[in-house]
Amino acid sequence: MPREAEISLVERDFIQKALEEGVRLDGRDFNAFRPVELTFGDEFGVADVQLGKTRVIVRVSVDVAVPPPERKFDGVFQIITEFSPMASPAFEVGRPTDAEVILSRVLEKAIRRSNALDTESLCIIAGLKCFALRADVHVVDHDGGLIDASCIAVMAALQHFRRPDVIVEGEKAIVLSAREREPIPLSILHQPLSVTFSYYEEGNIFLVDADLAEEQVRQGEIIVTMNRHGEICQINKYGGAPVDPLDLLNLNNIALQKVKDMSKFIQQKLDEDAKRRDAGGLMAELSAENAR
Amino acid sequence: MAPEAILSHLHRADGSATYTHNGYCIIGAVNGPIEVQRRDELPEEATVEVNVRPAVGVGSPKERHLETLLHNTLRSIILTSSIPRTLVQITLQVRSLPEEEADCGIDSSLAILPHLLHTSLLALLSASIPLSTVLTAALVAIPSVSSSPLISPTANQLLRAKPIRSAHVFAFSGEGKLLLNESDGVFSLQEWDEAAEAAEEVCCKEEGGVGLGEGMEVDGKEGDNLDAWLREVVMDKVKWETRWRGAK
Repeated sequence: MPREAEISLVERDFIQKALEEGVRLDGRDFNAFRPVELTFGDEFGVADVQLGKTRVIVRVSVDVAVPPPERKFDGVFQIITEFSPMASPAFEVGRPTDAEVILSRVLEKAIRRSNALDTESLCIIAGLKCFALRADVHVVDHDGGLIDASCIAVMAALQHFRRPDVIVEGEKAIVLSAREREPIPLSILHQPLSVTFSYYEEGNIFLVDADLAEEQVRQGEIIVTMNRHGEICQINKYGGAPVDPLDLLNLNNIALQKVKDMSKFIQQKLDEDAKRRDAGGLMAELSAENAR
Repeated sequence: MAPEAILSHLHRADGSATYTHNGYCIIGAVNGPIEVQRRDELPEEATVEVNVRPAVGVGSPKERHLETLLHNTLRSIILTSSIPRTLVQITLQVRSLPEEEADCGIDSSLAILPHLLHTSLLALLSASIPLSTVLTAALVAIPSVSSSPLISPTANQLLRAKPIRSAHVFAFSGEGKLLLNESDGVFSLQEWDEAAEAAEEVCCKEEGGVGLGEGMEVDGKEGDNLDAWLREVVMDKVKWETRWRGAK
């Protein structure tokens, strides 16, 4: 398996010099995301996110399983990230790279452990049956910013997904198909999104959403995950150079603004999709969702 | 319905294609010829590696089986001896399956095989890997009630025609030679012959072939076969890539 081609010294110098002069290679502002595109598939729970040249597809699917004995009242929720050689020939099947490990760890912390999804609502019969939800993250094209793109894609797919309704009679549970009853949206408690900052020059320059070339030149990264209410789910710092605590506070403010914009963008896309599906205007009548 | 294809749309891979047909959507990417690992290196030919990744979950024995079939078929059309000691890496990511796929009554690996073959061929063409010929493939299902075989049926058609007695996948080379046959179920030799003939007609009959679906019209021509479709896809790609010639 070939290694990832390292960026040449000339390119490295060029990017660094340009950053010192306050210019990014693609002419973006330091605090600007690349153009984001979000599309939903025909099925529920498929989100396709394009962040510049990076492309991530997330598919959420559901199954019925036995809940773990130590958590009888919870459902199961897993996020699976596996890179394929499609994104880069350096990714080998069955041998995770560092980027892959970091991505799955960050997503785990940001979305699963911050309780973005109410897993208790996935319980069907306590201790016997529950829904096992899984989100498969497929990285199709890799040009940096994988964590931000995956986070957007997972959250969008979860909000787009509809699970089948169930009828419980004593110890028996009947899962109703989409034809029998309109599937129900998941109960989502908050929407965490990540913003990755790459830092250069001993923490003097911070970039939002670095592309692959900029990622290869950076000294380190700080990943801030928060929801649109400004509640921080996690802050991760990878890379050795020290960062001023005041800068960190500043980054949180930038991240909040970005997360607010992005949440609004996702909501707008979800509404558009709902309108497209609700052609006859029957959705409100068919809905089997319980009001919270 | 003729299949839809988008070529060379991924940035990192050397060649890529997205193929959509009958509810199946597959993204294919090819990297090659690239450096090969020591243990896989063959002194006189290229190593071909095929990865099939399902839409949900990680690969299972079903995907491994498909990989073996694809590997053997593709190795016979790639000119491996012209790029020795290199690797041609083919990755196929299943993006979506038709809704009724699980209960359409035939082996799901057979149903997806023609689509995987087409995707990988398009991705290979997009990556400009030297090939000795092209290939086209079709699924033929023989229902046990009515006698007429279903050619490249949709999952919905299969569901209606249930029970299906046997299912066959045929792949033909550009010269009309049989490259791959996978059959499943109970059938007589005569039925197999009929199925093979029907598949050949859809794939690569020269003149007056029966198209996919009666009365299908592509640019005014009626009843195109898969070979013609493939040519059209490649022609569009070449036209797009050489558009600078026309610019004055």
